Amino acid sequence: MEQILANGVYLGAQYAMIALGLTLIFALMNVLNFAHGQMYVLGGFVTYTFYGQLGWPFVPALLMSCLTLAVAGALIERFLFAPVIRRSAREESTMLLAAGLAFLLDAIILLVFGEKQRGVPKIVNGVLNWDFRVIMPYDRILICGLAILSIVTFILFMQYSKTGRALRALAQDRTAAELMGVDVARYSMIGFAIGAMLAGLVGGLLVTITGVNLGMGGPTSIKAFMMVMIGGAGVISGAIAGGIILGFLEAIGLAVLSQYGDITYLVIFVSLMIFLAIRPRGLMGKPWG
Amino acid sequence: MSKPSPAHWIGLAVFLAAVFVAIPMLIAASGRTDFYFTLTSVALLAIASAGVWLMFYIGRIHIGQGAFALIGAYVSAILVTKAEMSFWLTLPLAGLFAAFVAVLIGIPILRLRGVYFAMISLVLTQVVTLTALALPITNGAKGITSIPLPGAISAFGITLVPDFADIENTRLAFYLTSCFLMVLTFAAMHRLVNSRLGHICRSMQQNEALAASIGVNIAHIRIIVFSISSFFGGIGGAMFGSIAQSVYPSTFVVADSVNFMLNCFLGGLGYVFGPMLGTLVLYFGWDLLFEFGRYQLLIYSGLLILAMLVLPNGLLSIRPDMFRRSSK
Amino acid sequence: MKRRTLVTAALAAAVAVAAQTGAAMAMNPVLKIGFVGVTSGPAAAWGTSNQRSMEARAAWINETGGYTIGGTTYDIEIVSFDDQKDPKRAIAGMEKMANEGIHYVVGPNVDDGAAAVRPVAEKNGIMYFPYAFPKELYSAPASNAVLGMVANYQSGPAIYKMLRDEKGVKTVAFVAANESDPLSQRDSGVAAAKALGLDVVSSNVTYQVDTTDFTPVLTPVMRSRPDLLVLSGVSPANAPQLIRSARELGYRGLISTETAQDARVLSEGAGDLANGFISVGGASTPEIASDMMKEFVDRYTAMFGEYNDESNTKVYALEYILETLKANPAAIDDVDEFQRTMDTFEAPNPYMKGDAKLRYVGMSSFGQKRQIAVPLVVNVFNDGEFETMFVAEVD
Repeated sequence: MEQILANGVYLGAQYAMIALGLTLIFALMNVLNFAHGQMYVLGGFVTYTFYGQLGWPFVPALLMSCLTLAVAGALIERFLFAPVIRRSAREESTMLLAAGLAFLLDAIILLVFGEKQRGVPKIVNGVLNWDFRVIMPYDRILICGLAILSIVTFILFMQYSKTGRALRALAQDRTAAELMGVDVARYSMIGFAIGAMLAGLVGGLLVTITGVNLGMGGPTSIKAFMMVMIGGAGVISGAIAGGIILGFLEAIGLAVLSQYGDITYLVIFVSLMIFLAIRPRGLMGKPWG
Repeated sequence: MSKPSPAHWIGLAVFLAAVFVAIPMLIAASGRTDFYFTLTSVALLAIASAGVWLMFYIGRIHIGQGAFALIGAYVSAILVTKAEMSFWLTLPLAGLFAAFVAVLIGIPILRLRGVYFAMISLVLTQVVTLTALALPITNGAKGITSIPLPGAISAFGITLVPDFADIENTRLAFYLTSCFLMVLTFAAMHRLVNSRLGHICRSMQQNEALAASIGVNIAHIRIIVFSISSFFGGIGGAMFGSIAQSVYPSTFVVADSVNFMLNCFLGGLGYVFGPMLGTLVLYFGWDLLFEFGRYQLLIYSGLLILAMLVLPNGLLSIRPDMFRRSSK
Repeated sequence: MKRRTLVTAALAAAVAVAAQTGAAMAMNPVLKIGFVGVTSGPAAAWGTSNQRSMEARAAWINETGGYTIGGTTYDIEIVSFDDQKDPKRAIAGMEKMANEGIHYVVGPNVDDGAAAVRPVAEKNGIMYFPYAFPKELYSAPASNAVLGMVANYQSGPAIYKMLRDEKGVKTVAFVAANESDPLSQRDSGVAAAKALGLDVVSSNVTYQVDTTDFTPVLTPVMRSRPDLLVLSGVSPANAPQLIRSARELGYRGLISTETAQDARVLSEGAGDLANGFISVGGASTPEIASDMMKEFVDRYTAMFGEYNDESNTKVYALEYILETLKANPAAIDDVDEFQRTMDTFEAPNPYMKGDAKLRYVGMSSFGQKRQIAVPLVVNVFNDGEFETMFVAEVD
């Protein structure tokens, strides 16, 4: 039981971080970013390169991941999403752009970093073993702590900084924010950059545990979509809730249903569909038609 | 909606002549027999994409067509191998079964809108894949293999369609069959869009509440459209299973569902024939870039992004005066 | 509508022209060998090592003057098609090979693709060498597929038997990804273990391939305290994480798999925790690699920057095709001749020390010779390198 809780917290924290970036971008511009998983993978590879290959200390390498993705995110928003959103008749059209971007990032990652699974040295060794009731390696505890810290920082930033307040205003009502004098174009770009940066950050954090490979992008995006849907699209607290719920769902499902192995995920997915059918806007989502 | 003008009829005739006469002749002349399969795929994927387009038409982003294609493929494969039915009989049954599943699932999930519907349909693809892995009747992970080719159809002693196993050029046979199905599908779509139902769909795409307020039972319409959409998916999937003579849980996966949707976007959501063109360009484009080897994906995705930047409303928007439906 | 049709026709015409001007310019006549497999997207690692093995070998042959079959010296050209792990694309790839007049194709990499290309291959006289295990691909009436490696239902029993006899293994647990190939391999692994009198204590646990944390997956397996944990059909990306999670959960027994792994991936992903991990490999461990194998590894590394240990098994398919054609030049465009030659074909194995032979096997598994005899080399990982545990043969 304790082990399930611990697994749930650990999974939940990392999932919540992945979902945060996605939901931020969605909230700001109604873009369902299919390339989010690829951004996460890219973040992992940047940390791998600086920390694993060039021998930098971990934290600066992690910051390089954030920086790379923030810059990439800003450029992508400015030169790809903004013009398309401005000119397309139906805003869902950005899905094609996002998917194209996902393919593009996949291609770039394959050419630059290769097709193999990559890993980095552990940041801390050793395993916490509390009487065989909870077994958790120290590096996971550390990463989990860092993830929670980042989430708290992000919430505080959104709540109290000037940029955060502008972004929230933008997410709530684009037109009203514009009337209030918020520079919509600029803050859209900043928001997209922050969303991408979060993907890079979590990629860099997790590379120390799971390693990274080209194939992780697509499935990560899909998982992130699910979390966002559970919590409610475009709501920060919803993304966090969704991440934690999916984390616990997996931890509990795998423990309880292990006898029926093959259908564990089937049960998880079906219950997700039932949940959404009952609560068509997730836990706390705003309506969007 | 205007009445079809003579120009429309000429266009249709040219299109049919191209598909059924000119392309086979070109292929025979150039010796590129591999294009038969590529174009067969385009036709079948276009049929499934047409279903997705129809969902867009009522304002739903449908990323679950792979689920219905897989259902269709399995239904046909199981009926052919276990019940030894004729493939031609299983083809409509596959579509009908997919439509039936769509009705059952559609009742709860069609209430969802926007990204929520998009996501739930995406999850649906995974659910069907995992179900196929877990069920005994689908033969689980081992898939269904060695499915016989479609047999003959004869009426009153006259062979209408020969047994595919006896045909020398099965490629051509599958190509013609698939194109025939595609033409039927798009003819049906064209008819539907220009009918009263199509008119209601357009109003639903704009504003469901408004459509409901003028006395339309939108819940019914949604189910009807969703089942038609899934029927197309089932047909496309069943046909594919018969060409590959095998069906696996991975025959249609999330990536296929996403591609069906992208086909619609690329062709243009405002044009009935958008999914056909989108499928042709997306699927055929990949094959054409085959020469570039390891840069294939890079160039492919680059072109895709470029297309989006230049024509954000789809390729067909290049001629706004020609096919434009009164969308705004 | 008229315009679109015109565009279609123009496109088709343009392609037809482009295809004819793409021919290579070389002194020797060119012998084309195909590859259909996955080299992009999530599963890129599988096909990439295949394709690169073939290209490295072909470049080597061409550099040293070409390959002589029946008095004619050919340059070898590898024609690759990326099927994106999609069975529908795999068919298109095989059609393309048929169109290029290719009769010998390596791949596809997965079960569904291998099954899907069968009609095309048999109709067009193409022999293909898949890396997929379903027996019906290789048993009559199927005729044109040749298994390109050792199947897990062949290597599994050998490994389990050795571990039972020498390490006293009594209980086994299986975990597999929730996908066709790994699940099929798990089922045949379970059957093999039971046939050897081993006690299968857990075989229901599966995981999604995109799992990032294997602790919850493995916790229930560890509770059954197996002597041996088998990672059925594990992909090189998942293997180090699974090993690491199992060890971190305090597991002390043996861990094995029947698929090929890469040493660098293991040491990066699991470090010392991967020590003792048993996998199936080819012939590049120092104990058995011939000078030619070593040169192959050097050339591969020079060409692509980094070697992949999975290529130790994947180097063989092309060699078999060429050697068989040399043994019977008439087979160069006639696969019936090829199939006839397969029954008696034998040549020295250039990649292994000693007098190992290249020959076709599979009588006991498939009832016909539809498998290449790759030495069944069982490796154990130790401090960043593979060591050979034992070498066996498949019949």
